[in-house]
Amino acid sequence: MSDYRKPLPQIQPFSEAFWEGTRNNKLLVQTCSDCDARIFFPRRQCPECWSTNLGWTEASGKAEIYAFSVTYEGVEAVFREDLPIVLAWVDLPEGIRMQTNIIECDPDAIEIGQQVEVVFRKVTDEITLPYFRPVQ
Amino acid sequence: MSLAIIGIAELPTKRDPERTRWDMLSDVCMDAIRDAGIDKDDVEAVISVNPMAQAQMALDMALGRVPEVLGLKGCKDICVLNSGGTSTTNCLRLAKYFIDNKQARFVLIPHTTVQSDIPTEDLINFFATAPLDPQWEYPYGVTFNGAMGLITNRYMHDTGATAEQMASVTVSLRGWGALDPNSIFYGKPVTLEDVLESRMISTPLHAKECNFLADGAGAMIVTSHEIAQELGRPAAYELGHGVRFTGATPVLREDPYFIKAYRESSQDALAEAGLSIDDMDLRQIYGAYPFTQCSALEGYGVCEFGEAAAIWAEGRCGPGGDLPCTSMGDATGRGHTGSGVSMAFYLDTVRQLRGEAGERQVADCNHALITTSGGSVMNACTTIFGSAPR
Repeated sequence: MSDYRKPLPQIQPFSEAFWEGTRNNKLLVQTCSDCDARIFFPRRQCPECWSTNLGWTEASGKAEIYAFSVTYEGVEAVFREDLPIVLAWVDLPEGIRMQTNIIECDPDAIEIGQQVEVVFRKVTDEITLPYFRPVQ
Repeated sequence: MSLAIIGIAELPTKRDPERTRWDMLSDVCMDAIRDAGIDKDDVEAVISVNPMAQAQMALDMALGRVPEVLGLKGCKDICVLNSGGTSTTNCLRLAKYFIDNKQARFVLIPHTTVQSDIPTEDLINFFATAPLDPQWEYPYGVTFNGAMGLITNRYMHDTGATAEQMASVTVSLRGWGALDPNSIFYGKPVTLEDVLESRMISTPLHAKECNFLADGAGAMIVTSHEIAQELGRPAAYELGHGVRFTGATPVLREDPYFIKAYRESSQDALAEAGLSIDDMDLRQIYGAYPFTQCSALEGYGVCEFGEAAAIWAEGRCGPGGDLPCTSMGDATGRGHTGSGVSMAFYLDTVRQLRGEAGERQVADCNHALITTSGGSVMNACTTIFGSAPR
């Protein structure tokens, strides 16, 4: 049994591949094979053309910070040990924007436009969460 | 097609678990009916604002308790509507349908929220999970303050707005609240230093720029323009309405500051009213976080993108300013009563148009624009009200 007590992602049938990817230290971006849309977050059907002919492409793991906020208080009790938490939206060159945490960083030194890279943290046997850290 | 608000009542925003939900609801419903000058049995429909985070109350209201408790013998039907912060807006829309179709001459729209008897941990959980995605946001320690702090940060980056300018929004909102007996901050203005020196919650948002959860209740009686005029009592007449949806999940929105939604919803509403933004004597913006007070003005076309924070910093939008905005105080200046914030926005707009806003009264207030939003600003619902019908 894992002692991880924070909320875990509620995996859906059409997002299983994403979480299988993170278990193997791969960040996958869902793609539409019909209209070539890059889709985040993963869906059952393409939000652009409703195609169910969907696939996955492996991301480089590089990203740029679009926006961030450093939280010092007001989180649920299970997250308190992580404070301060750097919440961020990062833009991937593969064409999606996702929400994540910036870790392994000085929260006061984070800037919009900063280059970051994916880092995987296995939190349970089933779930590995993708985070990002500043590129050294 | 017409709608007029002819009766209002509100209980002051407080944290007081001794005030029960049903006591509060009964008080405001009875007072709104008295204020409208009608008999209780004249109410032909009750359309309730869904009380967020209060499952039992929502169920009671959905299954018909309100007319029963109040003995509304003329009531033909009831409904609860839920679209978060825009629930009240949807109540007004459905009321208009009942009135237009001659199903009801008078509709009662009530709201009550008590959050002070809910454990803080449960409220944090509710506000973290209700509007946020359980798979792609919640595992990352997101809070409402964190998500809105993130957008505020980018807004300041894009506009060049300074921390002092952003804090001035809260100073003005609290300025309105300090003059308002219905605000939890009545008699409690803050200075720029108070805001900037308050605890940092989620950068760049200080504690005083975040919402303070509280209890509140409000109700209104609505009818048609024609009946409102026959009754000959001061009323707020709906003149135009426009809406836009921005999306449920903040990170997926192409328009992070809702500028397009503010612009297009206000343009539709103003076009229906046959008025321009310059005709508005008051702008009431329900965004719950200070940056929306700026981006809404930019969306309405009051100023260019990037100019609004400086306008707030000059004090032009606060009490006594030449561009009065949000005399209701918004959630940061009045206390956040869940889905009741939008109710209080409409009630305050009615007071202003009826000349009953006391120390906060905007001079010669004949036209007001009000925008409400639900979720994390998933939509912008803009309505124009006037002190007289067209």
